[in-house]
Amino acid sequence: MSDLTTSEKLVIEPTFTTPEIVFDPGNRQFYLRGNSYPENSVKFYGPVLEWLSRFVQNHVPTSESLTLEVHLEYFNTSTAKVLLDLFRYFEALQEKGQPVQIRWLYLAEDTEMEDAGLDYQAAVKVPFELVPLHEDQA
Amino acid sequence: MTVSYEHRLLFRHEGPLDMEVLPPIVQHLDKLLAQEGVRPPLRRKIISCLIELAQNIIHYAARHDQMVPLITLSRTDEGIVLITRNAVYYSQELFLHSYLQNLTQMSREELEALHHQTLVSGSYSDSGGANLGLLQVIYKADRFEYELTPVEGEYSWFTVKATFLTKSHE
Repeated sequence: MSDLTTSEKLVIEPTFTTPEIVFDPGNRQFYLRGNSYPENSVKFYGPVLEWLSRFVQNHVPTSESLTLEVHLEYFNTSTAKVLLDLFRYFEALQEKGQPVQIRWLYLAEDTEMEDAGLDYQAAVKVPFELVPLHEDQA
Repeated sequence: MTVSYEHRLLFRHEGPLDMEVLPPIVQHLDKLLAQEGVRPPLRRKIISCLIELAQNIIHYAARHDQMVPLITLSRTDEGIVLITRNAVYYSQELFLHSYLQNLTQMSREELEALHHQTLVSGSYSDSGGANLGLLQVIYKADRFEYELTPVEGEYSWFTVKATFLTKSHE
């Protein structure tokens, strides 16, 4: 397994059932966008969590904050659980001294998504910002 | 529970269900509900429940040539009714009955607590599920009903009827 350098990024193209995932340390871009209801979330997100595990292991903390943006439309309950596993890696980065934050983007009137964000906000120990969007932004 | 077809039927799928079939159904129903004037928050709630129920069928339904899955969506005076029906084995029937009886007797606060506990410390199923699907549907639907009907030998129909009131979302 190669060392993860700042030039090694993870890019997964979106499908109708899986999100676009970009983890690009070089450009300090970390985001998930789209739908997430794969047939098997554990299998789909396995390589993503492996990438994060290596990134946490090899990352040298900087003073500039790393922000993960999550903007999902439809996601199934198994994705909900995997997301928590994913957020734990950002907790691990924070424990290494890397400032991090997670931004949860959702349609302003969508109380279900807001509640899901609040659940995560309560469950993770990193700054977790809920970002309501208006219909033309969502 | 009565599965009535007196309402205005918006959608009906009766046939095999897999991850090739589900995404076009989701896409179609999203557009259809938008055309029906269903606001995005309720639309998302209904589609989320459909995804959970459909993926439960894909992962756990008993395979039977004549007992194929059914999904219907209807408009009634009070709102939108989502019905799914699939074959289950007798052993699944016993589990489902006690599991759902327990869940449907819980208050919203108890459902929230169980959801949080399962999310944080629960394990994944062999098919990668989080064991949260039915709990989520019970929590999100304004009314949840289910029926287990023995059909023949080792099989039963498992029918779920989830009602979403449109008035509360206007």
